This record gives sequence, C-alpha cells and structure tokens, in this order.
Amino acid sequence: MAHNELILTNVTKRFGGLTAVDDLSFTVKPGQIYGIIGPNGAGKTTVFNCITGIYKSEEGSVNWRGEEIRGLTPYQIVDRGIVRTFQTIRLFSQMSVAENIMSGRHIRSSQKWWHGIMHTPASKRDELDNWHKVEEQLDFFKLSQYAATPVGSLPYGLQRRVEMARARAVDPTLLILDEPAAGLNDNETADLVETISKIRDKGVTVLLIEHDMDLVMKVTDYLTVINFGKKIAEGTPAEIQKDPAVIEAYLGSEDDDE
Amino acid sequence: MDILKRYSLPIFLVVLLVLPNLLDPRWQAIAITFLVFSVVALSEDIVLGKAGMFNMGHALFFGMGAYVTAILNAKFGWPILATIPVAVLVPALFGILFAGPIVHLRGDYLLVVTIGINIVFIQVLQNNLGGMTGGPNGIFGLDSLSLFGWQLTSQLATYYFAFIILLVTLGVMKNLEKSKAGRALHYLREDSLASESIGINTRTYKIFAFGLGAGLAGLAGTVFATQYSAVSPEAFNFMQSVLFFSIVLVGGSSIPGIFLGVFVMFILPEIFREFSTWRYFVFGFAMILTMILRPNGIWPATFGKIPKFLIKDSDHGA
Ligand SMILES: Nc1ncnc2c1ncn2[C@@H]1O[C@H](COP(=O)(O)OP(=O)(O)O)[C@@H](O)[C@H]1O
Ligand SMILES: [Mg+2]
Repeated sequence: MAHNELILTNVTKRFGGLTAVDDLSFTVKPGQIYGIIGPNGAGKTTVFNCITGIYKSEEGSVNWRGEEIRGLTPYQIVDRGIVRTFQTIRLFSQMSVAENIMSGRHIRSSQKWWHGIMHTPASKRDELDNWHKVEEQLDFFKLSQYAATPVGSLPYGLQRRVEMARARAVDPTLLILDEPAAGLNDNETADLVETISKIRDKGVTVLLIEHDMDLVMKVTDYLTVINFGKKIAEGTPAEIQKDPAVIEAYLGSEDDDE
Repeated sequence: MDILKRYSLPIFLVVLLVLPNLLDPRWQAIAITFLVFSVVALSEDIVLGKAGMFNMGHALFFGMGAYVTAILNAKFGWPILATIPVAVLVPALFGILFAGPIVHLRGDYLLVVTIGINIVFIQVLQNNLGGMTGGPNGIFGLDSLSLFGWQLTSQLATYYFAFIILLVTLGVMKNLEKSKAGRALHYLREDSLASESIGINTRTYKIFAFGLGAGLAGLAGTVFATQYSAVSPEAFNFMQSVLFFSIVLVGGSSIPGIFLGVFVMFILPEIFREFSTWRYFVFGFAMILTMILRPNGIWPATFGKIPKFLIKDSDHGA
C-alpha cells in the first residue's frame, strides 16, 4: 500500500433528506498541499468531518495508509497522525496559549493516568520535554510573547495561529485545515501562505478547504472542486481556473460567500 | 502580590498545623470538620470544577469510605488505619463503574442521575444491607486510632490524622495540575469536541476524574468515621451533596475558594450558633448573589500555570 495516502472512495453522507456529500472520491498524495473548494454549503466541512471521525459516512471508504478509518472515533484518528483545525475556531478559550498548544502534545506524552496522582522522574522529564515542544511551536508561529495570555482575549488572527500551532504540536502526518484564512486580513493571509508552505516543507501533507481563491491558487498543488456534495472538477490550480464548470458553479457564486 | 500568592498556602498550612493546640475541645472538633469537609470539597472539585461534570451525589462516595472503615473496624476488627486502602478503593471502583455508563450524559441529565444514585445509596444504608450497615442508626463504637500498638485516643490525634489527609489531597491536586491527565480534564471541560479532535479520549478521563474524586472522598470518610466513632446515613444524604456542589461553584474551583466555601458553609454556622436557624436562608442568598455577581465563583480558578521558561518578557498583559 502506498505510504501516507488518503484515499476517499465513493463517500456519501446524508442528513435526513439532504445528501451533503455525494459519492465523493479523491486521493491526497504524501507531501501535497491539497485543496478542496466549492461554494458555501457544498459539503466541504462535512467531508472533513467524515475523514476526522466526527461523522461516519453512510457509504464509501476512507482509507489512510492502507487502513480503513471510516467509523473510528476522532481521537483514534488523531492517533493515526491526522489532525484538523475548525472553520469556527475551537480553542480552550480560558486557558493560555501555551496550555492550548500543550493539548497537542497529549498523544505524544508518555504519561499514564496515574502520573496525574503521583509524579515520577520519568513523568517529570516527559512533562518538561513536551513543554519544550510547545516552545518550538510558539517560536515557529511567532506566538512566544503570548505564551501566558488566555487565548480568548486574543484577536482573531492570532487565535487562528494558535489553533494551527496546537494541531502542529501533535506532529501530524496529515494536517487538515478548514478555511484557515477565514476572517484574516491581507497581511495575515500572506503570513498564512508562508506558514502552510513551511509546514509542508517539513514533511507534513496538508489538506485544506479555502474560499479565498488567491490563496488557493498560490498555495495548493492540486484541487478538488465540489458543489452540492459532488465532485465537479479536479486538477492543478491552473487547470481549475480554466474549467468552465468551475467558473459557472463556484466563481459565479463567489459574491454569496462573504 | 505574587509573593502573597506564592506563600499564602504554606502559611495557611502552618496555621492549621499549630491551630488545634490553641483550641478547646469543642473548637478542635469544628476544626476537624473543616479539614474533612475541605478534602471532600476538593475531591468534588476534581469532578465538577476541573472536569466540569455536574456531580450532585458526591456525599455518597464520602459515605462509602466512612462505612467501609466502620464495617471493617466494628464488624471485622481491622485497625482504623488498615481500613484506608479499602476505604479509598471501594468508592473509587464504584465511582469508575458508575461513571462508565453515565459520563457521556449532558450536564443536566448527569445531575439527575447522580442525585438518584445518592438517594438509592441512603436507602440501601437505611435498609441495613446484608446486615452490615446497621440501618437508620448506622454503626457506632468504632475503635480510636492506633499506631504501632499506641492508642491515639485524643482528639488532637484525629486532628492530625485529618491534617495529613488534607496534605495528601493537596499533593494529589498539585500533581494533577502538572500532568497530562489533569490538563485533559481542563481541556474536555472547555470543549469536548476540540479535545477529541486533538487526540484525547474524553470518556477515559471523565471516568478517571470520577474514580479519583470518589477515592479521595472515601479517604475523608475514614477520618469522619474516626472522629465520631460512628457513621449514620443522614450524614451522607443528598443535601450534603448539594452543599459540596455549591462550595465548588461558589468558591470558584480554586483551592482558596474551596477553603473559603467550606468555612462559610460549615464553620460560620458553628460560630454564629444563634443564627443557625437562619443558616440556609443566609447561605441560600449568598449562593444566589455570588452566581449573579461573580458567576465564576468568589475566587475563580486561574490558568496559565506554565513553566517559567516559556514566559518571555513582553509588554502584552499576560
Ligand atoms: N450536522 C448537520 N446536520 C444537518 N445538516 C448539516 C449538518 N452539517 C452540515 N449540514 C448541511 O450539509 C450541507 C453541507 O454543509 P457544510 O459541509 O458545512 O458545507 P461547506 O463547509 O461546504 O460550506 C449544508 O447544506 C449544511 O446545512
Ligand atoms: Mg464549511
């Protein structure tokens, strides 16, 4: 089996009468920055929820590194190296930036439950090692000066960065970003493009949903376009830009998205 | 201010260490109550404050520990101290088994279920389960503490027994704060879905919180049984659970907040005995006012307990 490939085959997810994801198939190759685009309500977030175990698709298969992961719980999927961010930021808002990022170290920490009651030299070392990993992420995402600041009091752009730092702290193989540029200004978006490329250069495969066409064209290697849950096109950004079906379905309705 | 913060707990503990020597027996008894109920409230804090689970039946774990000690001592002749491991493990295991099927419930449902199990527990005690629990009168005539053949009959000995158990509890809470398991409880309370999506098996940690909270409450139960040389059902009824629940909410899920809460709920009424009929009236209003004016409690929990090397000097108000 191919290494680190994510293969969706005929995935269908329904909500009552609505088919939010309709017979969708695509393959994300290792090292890619793969984009999913489509108008609002097209089913993009639902696809991500099916991959990350928040929903279980009624039909089809989600295969990761040769293993069927459809039906696993979210934390089991994280254990297999797939980590996500949310379209609507979900941070632990009362807690500090550093503590938020530390949550990403949860599955990498060697501590057992009973270390919560009694520490050992090994558990103390593990604790310190993981805080150092947090420090790396603080540096990477230029968040060091906010380490002790409660996340809820930060501006939106910084919160987005914290959410990515938290996901990256897991050392994922596949990082899934749901509209990472939503709500960011132009400068922040430019930073984001750079950050995503840097993350990929460190060997992480990235799968992202994005509305911002400029960003998609700049950052992705390959795209799938969906509308009403169905794939209407796939290809490189250059190919997609010329595709009449895409222009019709997506670009034509861009005004509605803001 | 920082210095005050850092040393306030050690100073408070030193005060507790010398305090009983300055008190007459009646006040010593009240001070023991303070220590024991602080341990129970801290253990409830693990479940309710840290993990955010609406547990309104915590007195039952306290009672279970007390009854385990009473039964093993009065019926089987175990020394009090030897009953401790059982008085911790029985409630802890019960907490784990009982939490398994209910921790996924939403707050309000969990609240009702825990009230129910507390009521069932009292009924079981009153009906003299297996001829062991002594019915409505409970069990009396427990031995006093003994250590290496020494009889520690004085109330002072019981006080220090309670004090040691408070220290153990505070030690556990401190360790919990600086561990993967303790943080997992904070994370899942703040956002359960985000926690699962970052790799935390929230169910496991919720059950862990119940088990640990129950075990520590059981430990407090041993001291309680020792203090009164007796146990009876009404000390562990639903109303007691309500008080422990309120202490954590009103106190604000912090160690000083919980000490303050225990003091206000259990000790002030002793000081103002004349007012004892007004007790629930006054505290009812205190609870209402706190929740309106300070919804996070009088002394809210603070986060940001991160290693110093991460705190870079910055002009951003951290
Ligand atoms: N939990 C849900 N229950 C019912 N309908 C849902 C749910 N989640 C999404 N949907 C519906 O599925 C469709 C796709 O939504 P979504 O995946 O969020 O779209 P996108 O992310 O592409 O904007 C929408 O019509 C939405 O209303
Ligand atoms: Mg979406």
